[in-house]
Amino acid sequence: MTRALMLSTAAIALLTGAADARTIHILMESVPDTRFVQEVVPEFTAQTGIEVDIEVVNYAEMHTKLVPQLVAPAGSYDVIVVDFYWVGEFTKAGWLQPLDERIAASGFDTSVYFPAMMDLVGRVDGVVYMLPFYNYAMALTYRKDLLEDPAEQAAFAAKYGTPLRVPQGWDEYLKQVEFFTRKPDLHGVVNQGLRPDPIAMEWSNYLFARGGEYYDPATWEPKLTSPEAVAALEDYKRNVQEFGPLGAASFGFDEAFNVAAQGKAYSYITYNFFRTAYDDPSQSAVVGKMELAPVPVAGLNGGWGWAIPRSSPDPDAAWQFIAWIESPEIAKRRAALGGSPTRADVFADPDLNAKYPYYPALQALLEGSKNFPVFTYTPQFVEVLGRELSLAVTGEKEPAAALAAANEEFRALLRQDGKLP
Amino acid sequence: MAAGLARRDRRFGLLMAGPGLAAMLLVVLFPLVFTAWTSLYEFTLLRPVHDLFVGLGNFAAALDDGGFRHALRVTLAFVVAVVLLEFLLGLVVALALDSVERGRAVYYAILLCPLLMNPVVVGLIWRMFLHPTQGIVNYVIGLAGIAPVNWLGDPAVAFWTLVAVDIWHQVSFMVVLLLAGLAALPPEPYEAARMEGAGPIRAFFWITLPLLRPVITVTLLIRLIFAVRTYDLVYIMTRGGPGNATDLVSYFIYRQAFVTLNLGRAAAMSLVLLAIVLLLTAWLHRYMRSLRA
Repeated sequence: MTRALMLSTAAIALLTGAADARTIHILMESVPDTRFVQEVVPEFTAQTGIEVDIEVVNYAEMHTKLVPQLVAPAGSYDVIVVDFYWVGEFTKAGWLQPLDERIAASGFDTSVYFPAMMDLVGRVDGVVYMLPFYNYAMALTYRKDLLEDPAEQAAFAAKYGTPLRVPQGWDEYLKQVEFFTRKPDLHGVVNQGLRPDPIAMEWSNYLFARGGEYYDPATWEPKLTSPEAVAALEDYKRNVQEFGPLGAASFGFDEAFNVAAQGKAYSYITYNFFRTAYDDPSQSAVVGKMELAPVPVAGLNGGWGWAIPRSSPDPDAAWQFIAWIESPEIAKRRAALGGSPTRADVFADPDLNAKYPYYPALQALLEGSKNFPVFTYTPQFVEVLGRELSLAVTGEKEPAAALAAANEEFRALLRQDGKLP
Repeated sequence: MAAGLARRDRRFGLLMAGPGLAAMLLVVLFPLVFTAWTSLYEFTLLRPVHDLFVGLGNFAAALDDGGFRHALRVTLAFVVAVVLLEFLLGLVVALALDSVERGRAVYYAILLCPLLMNPVVVGLIWRMFLHPTQGIVNYVIGLAGIAPVNWLGDPAVAFWTLVAVDIWHQVSFMVVLLLAGLAALPPEPYEAARMEGAGPIRAFFWITLPLLRPVITVTLLIRLIFAVRTYDLVYIMTRGGPGNATDLVSYFIYRQAFVTLNLGRAAAMSLVLLAIVLLLTAWLHRYMRSLRA
């Protein structure tokens, strides 16, 4: 009896003790890099005594979950991860804490980050609000075994008069898509045509590859009605409807990836973090057969940054965590697990280069990628663009008409944001 | 004496209902009033303050928005389709089950399974089933020699796919309610009809349907209101696409609030939707009553 009493008292003491421990709460997306962070986090708790509670949700729910917490005077997240296209909105609304003082005080070196990553998910108008977490620049993933097959090479050369190789130009890639379309077993390409962000992000690669732009960088004048943009949308529509599998117009990235991972597509332009997933036998039938290359001409850059919201209940512990997770040692550990790096020192690491021979291609990708327009109303623009692209792909609107509509709404949003008079 | 008792009764009743009513006021009336108030302001999540009064500007902008009008039209078609089809199907199943003597509990259990599932789960399951190349549905119809169908990627098909999944999910709701109504019907009119020589078809049209009318009205009303709110299925299965073929109004308003962050406009759209639902409800109620007369 006494023993039971003592035991329960001890248990209660333990429980209240646990409640007293500092805990930081983080909202993250269910992607591979989040899993790698979860794997290393126990060490942080062991070193500092700070518990880390990571809430993992689907991408589509993140913005909705974040906004009410960011608006509130005291939110429930100490640390957040910010997708590049929320950056304009979050900083304009004043939801993020500037990090410059903390960076200076703790002597954190930010010069190791690629400048493009720092511009995308780090610095805004000269103030550092985020540290780049991982990149998801889009890449061309393709069937290396088919590309290197001598019989295929001979047939391709005979048909097009050019060699079959990693595509250097956009037209060359489109020819390969046509060439490898052998329905129903193999499709030249699989697309992620679901609106709004899967289609908008994927099509951006087509736009850049065709030499198009979203806007004139000097004036913010939208340029979606350019002949390059129209050609890019025609390419996209043809790929979905003629060379892709049935249903690609409604695929999210998971479904499109599954088609590629089952060996049913020659190519898939997607986030580079899928590269490691192709070699995972539990989710792929093409282990060792897929490789990654930069999208010919230029692809879309993307990335996430660590940030401390204004409403963070414990900003000091939050910074302690961010500085730890982005320290050289832990950044390399995350990369070794398969994460997508943003730091030059990680890319230069010899062990990692031995483990991942595609690192030079990935680095070239990061250096050559172009950014999506980042302004206060980026999420809204993605919504508009996704809708119009989807209307064009399903044949309900002509590509030129769809882009004209997107261009006008883009202009209206830029005006609303004060970027255009 | 009796009047005093009645008054005391009433007071006691109010006392008992008081806490419930107060809670109702708090959770129903307050959001409604807040929504109405917000709809008159330019209120965005970027600047969440009620300081820019725009009168009916948000309502004018909502009604002027082609996307919103399109979403209303799609929703109307969706609601009519699911409510009618589910009602007809539900009535047939309920009539069949009503005459089942043994093992009714088993049928009940099977029927209730989809209804117990979260709509998000339903959406995810069906998205997998309907995957054009790797889903089981196209595989099975392929065994019968039917060409694969582009369930969610073709604007003409996607709408009906959504309707079909909703029927799969919700039809048991109709069945259960109608079955309860059927079980409560008095046996005497049927006996009388049989004595007079009326067959089952005449008995159905002249006895069952008229007696069942109150239950049918309530069932249709509840289902109609729920159908207007459909959001999860679209969100999981199509995101309003392909194109804007399945852009239901609840999902449209959600995007207005949480993607565009324009709560004032979203509030105005919600009130427009509320007005439409109230009108529909009133009309259906009166129509069903006029049938009795």
